[in-house]
Amino acid sequence: MDKVNVEKQKIFRSNLITFGMVIAAYIVVEVMMKTGNITSLLKGLLVPLCIYSILAVSLNLVVGISGELSLGHAGFMCIGAFTSATWSMLMKSSSMPEGIRFFFAILIGAVSAAFFGFLIGIPVLRLKGDYLAIVTLAFGEIIKNLVNALYFGVDAKGPHFSLEDSMHLNMDGGTIIIKGAQGITGAPKNSNFTIGVILLLIALFIVLNLINSRTGRAIMAIRDNRIAAESVGLNITKYKLLAFTISAAIAGVGGVLYAHNLSSLQALPKNFGYNQSIMILVFVVMGGIGNIRGSVIAAVVLTLLPELLRGLSDYRMLIYAVVLIFMMLFTSAPAFMQYRERIMTALHGKNKGGKEMD
Amino acid sequence: MAALLKVDSLGISFGGLKAVDKFNVEIEKNELYGLIGPNGAGKTTVFNLLTGVYKPTNGQITLDGDNITGLDCEAINKKGIARTFQNIRLFSQLSVLDNVKVGLHNNHAYSTLDGIFRTPKFRKVEKQMDERALELLKVFELEGYCDYKASNLPYGQQRKLEIARALATEPKLLLLDEPAAGMNPNETEELMNTIRLVRDKFDMTILLIEHDMKLVSGICDRLTVLNFGQVLKQGLTQDVLHDPEVIKAYLGD
Ligand SMILES: Nc1ncnc2c1ncn2[C@@H]1O[C@H](COP(=O)(O)OP(=O)(O)O)[C@@H](O)[C@H]1O
Ligand SMILES: [Mg+2]
Repeated sequence: MDKVNVEKQKIFRSNLITFGMVIAAYIVVEVMMKTGNITSLLKGLLVPLCIYSILAVSLNLVVGISGELSLGHAGFMCIGAFTSATWSMLMKSSSMPEGIRFFFAILIGAVSAAFFGFLIGIPVLRLKGDYLAIVTLAFGEIIKNLVNALYFGVDAKGPHFSLEDSMHLNMDGGTIIIKGAQGITGAPKNSNFTIGVILLLIALFIVLNLINSRTGRAIMAIRDNRIAAESVGLNITKYKLLAFTISAAIAGVGGVLYAHNLSSLQALPKNFGYNQSIMILVFVVMGGIGNIRGSVIAAVVLTLLPELLRGLSDYRMLIYAVVLIFMMLFTSAPAFMQYRERIMTALHGKNKGGKEMD
Repeated sequence: MAALLKVDSLGISFGGLKAVDKFNVEIEKNELYGLIGPNGAGKTTVFNLLTGVYKPTNGQITLDGDNITGLDCEAINKKGIARTFQNIRLFSQLSVLDNVKVGLHNNHAYSTLDGIFRTPKFRKVEKQMDERALELLKVFELEGYCDYKASNLPYGQQRKLEIARALATEPKLLLLDEPAAGMNPNETEELMNTIRLVRDKFDMTILLIEHDMKLVSGICDRLTVLNFGQVLKQGLTQDVLHDPEVIKAYLGD
């Protein structure tokens, strides 16, 4: 029992470090802001840093914990962004207090993305490996293109949809909220660094506690050996779908933050396209697959780096590439992992490796 | 007394090849039953049919009076059959303790939300699971390894951990596929004692596939010999092992 408790304490401490790291970074930035020691460039990056961290944590749940390759996470982000922004537009002129409106916006973004995650998860999770990657990639692109073509408005008679143009909405007065490729203009700017950090902490809380629970064990057992997992009576579909749905919900929340951080919201290749999905995957791989804290660190470093190196114009991408290679080696190369394990062994005086999910 | 496991005329073909054909067996409660035969005879296929990995082309499987023919793996485990694998299948990235706790999954439940919000129920059930898992590990002298990653265990211990995990699901019938494969004589001897202990301590019914004749003759009450997918001989261990046909099948291998 002693060893079990030691193990539990290790996980607890590791999780504490993860939360502490985020909170410490928050305090440092707040102090910098209070004392005016922050560039406007960095200021503009604060909310995106939270968004990318949240998305990386979300995707790591699928890629690292559930062991499935998804390339459609920007699609879930897109759903979260547009559903929540639509809600905020609809309620903008109501008497609902701003805080409560944004709270519901977050909820709506999460639930809508979760709903789509569940829906596409049912057929898609039967596929394996590359097939799953291709289908999720297609899903992300379809969502982005659909949103690009979508017109939506509300008048006295209720909601109107069209995939043609605003004339086809047949509106009788009222307001048009989503204008096809122009997207949504004028969603309230409710996102800020504090809310971003709180949502990141909540995402971390959910994912870390999930991993270290009965449900997380089942998800990881299925990842490690599907046939053995079936043989001990686990419901494979249920747990794969659960991980995928929770992950989609969290990605949706990233989308909510995104939608409420800008005055105009459009579905573009650069924000909700496959390049974005792959960027998130890069964060996950660079931070170490299955390593939740690593995802946050990688998202922050790799988002800040190109901006910080802007002055070095010509060498910028070179340095970026070198950093990528070193991160990759550090988190994933067997030799480096052995080296790290040796250091751990020296520190703990024993050759073992329990969980590394922290 | 009705048999715990009753298999009638079980068969499966893979593209014309009858890997198992007209397989019958009746195993009594608390029995230690052996399934032997040359390589490729279809023994593992029988296990895969019993546990729902393959759907039988014909025949019927009855466990404790329930017809379980055609159910999937998950359902069959819940009905009470657990197994180990000829090629070890552990949850390699999980700790030894967690491997067993995954086995406890269905009989020690709390919801996903309990887990996320660390409710009192979560704490209570997790504590029960830890205690139960350690008890099981103790039977196999694995409790000292509980914080090891499963893939870091020595080979012999991995085989034992698989048995512990299977037992954690509280089966009525335990299937062991070549549990002594790759073990030296000392380890095999020790494993024999462990298997007997499992039968007695857990009041378990065990069906095992094994090549080690010393192990088979040492612990099995009865045997079925499989050859080319069909039953060659069935009966008390000593009778079967001294049967000329059986000896021929083995020597001819
Ligand atoms: N999924 C499968 N597809 C095709 N042939 C199979 C399959 N599983 C087993 N077989 C064949 O069935 C026969 C019996 O195999 P097996 O049950 O593994 O034998 P063993 O008695 O050594 O455990 C072999 O000829 C094997 O090639
Ligand atoms: Mg076999």
